[in-house]
Amino acid sequence: MKKPKKRSEFIYFPGLGELALSGLRPLIGIFLGLLAGAVLIALSGANPLDAYSAMLQGALGSPQSVANVLVRASPLLIAGAGVAIGIKAGLWNIGAEGYMYAGAIGAGAVGIALLPVPPIVHVLLAILASVVAGTIWGLIPAYLRAYRGVNEVVTTIMMNYVAIYFVSWMVHEPQSLAEPGSFFPMSKIIAPTAKLPFLMRGSSLHPGFLVGIVACILLFLILRFTHFGFRTRMLGVNPDGSRYAGINVKRQMLLVLFVGAAMGGLAGAFEILGLKQRVFMDFVAGVGYEAVAVALLAGGNPLGVIASALFFSALKAGGATMSIQTGVGAPMTIVIEALCVLFVIAIGYGERKRLERAAKTEEEGEEVNNNDG
Amino acid sequence: MTDDQIISWLQATLRWGGPLILVAVGEVYSERSGVINVGIEGIMLFGALAGVAISFFTASVLLASIGAMILGAVFGLAFAYLTVSRRTNQVVTGLMFNLVALGGTNLLFATLSETRSVRVNTFPILFPEFLHDIPIIGPVLFRQPVITWIALILPFIAAWVLYRTDWGLNIRAVGDNPQAAATAGLPVIRLKYQTVILSGVFACLGGCALTLGEVGYFASGGMTGGRGFVVLAAVVVGGWDPVKIALACLTFGAADAAQLRFQTTGSAIPYQFLQMLPYLITVAALAGLVGRTKPPKTWGAPYNPADI
Repeated sequence: MKKPKKRSEFIYFPGLGELALSGLRPLIGIFLGLLAGAVLIALSGANPLDAYSAMLQGALGSPQSVANVLVRASPLLIAGAGVAIGIKAGLWNIGAEGYMYAGAIGAGAVGIALLPVPPIVHVLLAILASVVAGTIWGLIPAYLRAYRGVNEVVTTIMMNYVAIYFVSWMVHEPQSLAEPGSFFPMSKIIAPTAKLPFLMRGSSLHPGFLVGIVACILLFLILRFTHFGFRTRMLGVNPDGSRYAGINVKRQMLLVLFVGAAMGGLAGAFEILGLKQRVFMDFVAGVGYEAVAVALLAGGNPLGVIASALFFSALKAGGATMSIQTGVGAPMTIVIEALCVLFVIAIGYGERKRLERAAKTEEEGEEVNNNDG
Repeated sequence: MTDDQIISWLQATLRWGGPLILVAVGEVYSERSGVINVGIEGIMLFGALAGVAISFFTASVLLASIGAMILGAVFGLAFAYLTVSRRTNQVVTGLMFNLVALGGTNLLFATLSETRSVRVNTFPILFPEFLHDIPIIGPVLFRQPVITWIALILPFIAAWVLYRTDWGLNIRAVGDNPQAAATAGLPVIRLKYQTVILSGVFACLGGCALTLGEVGYFASGGMTGGRGFVVLAAVVVGGWDPVKIALACLTFGAADAAQLRFQTTGSAIPYQFLQMLPYLITVAALAGLVGRTKPPKTWGAPYNPADI
């Protein structure tokens, strides 16, 4: 009686134990995804082993390629951590794409302005603006979810598209942010004082990935050791139970969705201040959705986000090399990515439901079920 | 705007609205049974490519439509297996389908380079020439490919099936209370499979309508451009009723057609605001600001036969 109960707690509460145990299922899923990818590569007429080794070489072959992987990982780490905390609370914050656009506009607007302040202050102001902008973008879906019970998934997806067109409007010419006379719609370039430093010569490595890794670790600690984290996890495991336990469920939902929105905005800021230096139309191009996939692959564990974000970005960075060396199209990497996630959720969720069911029947045997009523 | 511009805008409204309606007709069944198929964007993309490819090789639009619909059924089956049998998160599964479609169509289209330079056979116009010359309705209604007419008639059939047949009643029961439906002896899982497969079939047909309606070619890089999400929006705004959804699709089609015109001519309203419109209206509808929309009670929730 005691043993299986222990096991289910082991699964529910995030920690190193969970990471070790839940790490296996994603690995099997990823393996199956790569295997399916190998079949597709073979079908397209290339040797899968050659293709994968080219990919590996493209991702890790030189310091520059590793830097490239880290640059790509930056938005996935930052936005992914925000999505992950939502998953832990049972909330699907699919709006990362939109938050990134909003954050980029916030950071861009402050970054473009020529302010008479030292660089560090300018950067911090731009980052602050991005966090505020991202949170504002998350306001409507978060309010509707928490206080009106409206499915957050659909509203966040809708807000993503609003953001895409909003940014498109902002960087087109009559607007003050837009670069006059440019062929492709984009904003003016950010001021030199707002530009993040490059960390490595000959690469565009900016500090975004470090911020992302720190954010993941911080969120992990917050989830694990603070009251806020405990309430978040409890909300995810049992929303009704949390309400009976006196947790202000609505406020907690709002806060968790805000954290996701703020992180999304931050991810957008680092893309602009560290890498692109301008806000382009359509510049996020699906990275926000990939951040959702990253968080999911990690099962909502912020430490797992580090691993899955690096895996995804290595796949993408290696894709270009694979394309050059074997002729397999670079879009193959998106397909492999998606297949990996599909395999992971197909294995993982069935398994988790089985455990939940086992835990539930066990609870029912132990005590009177006071949730229904 | 001149009369000609208005007529061409109305004509384009039906042309852009038609594919949306086709996709929405399938999606409403799936959502009524409780499954949100977010993958329709991607399935539509595959349908668009399959339509062009089959039409290119067989020169038959009928075969292209049938082929695309079969492909759609396969994707629908896969989506149903994952979301209904494996109970994966519907939205994430759908988003991954969209990623697979974006990458997959780009890869496949690269191998179909011969179709790039040709305009393949498109859906024919059924009505004879003399009807085209009737003022206004001639060009707007009669100079339309047959698929537009199918799209205009289909919502009424879909509504009849949904509200007047046993099968439709069963689907609505499954979406509102699967446990009760199962207790009453309905095959819940099988019904969900049927509706999700239907959403795949119509998503592919809608994709076909997009490429074979008029243009006759495929463009890589996600040529559906978020139309699958517009359909999701229309289903919400239409309150999960096929006829109202069709009206929403036409409204969004009109906004799309107007936005394309404003991009070239310029206007007082930035065209991006028109592009945002479907999504903003949807959020407003969900918030209860526009009419009263009630989603199916288990909208988006997985069905677990073991739950009571």
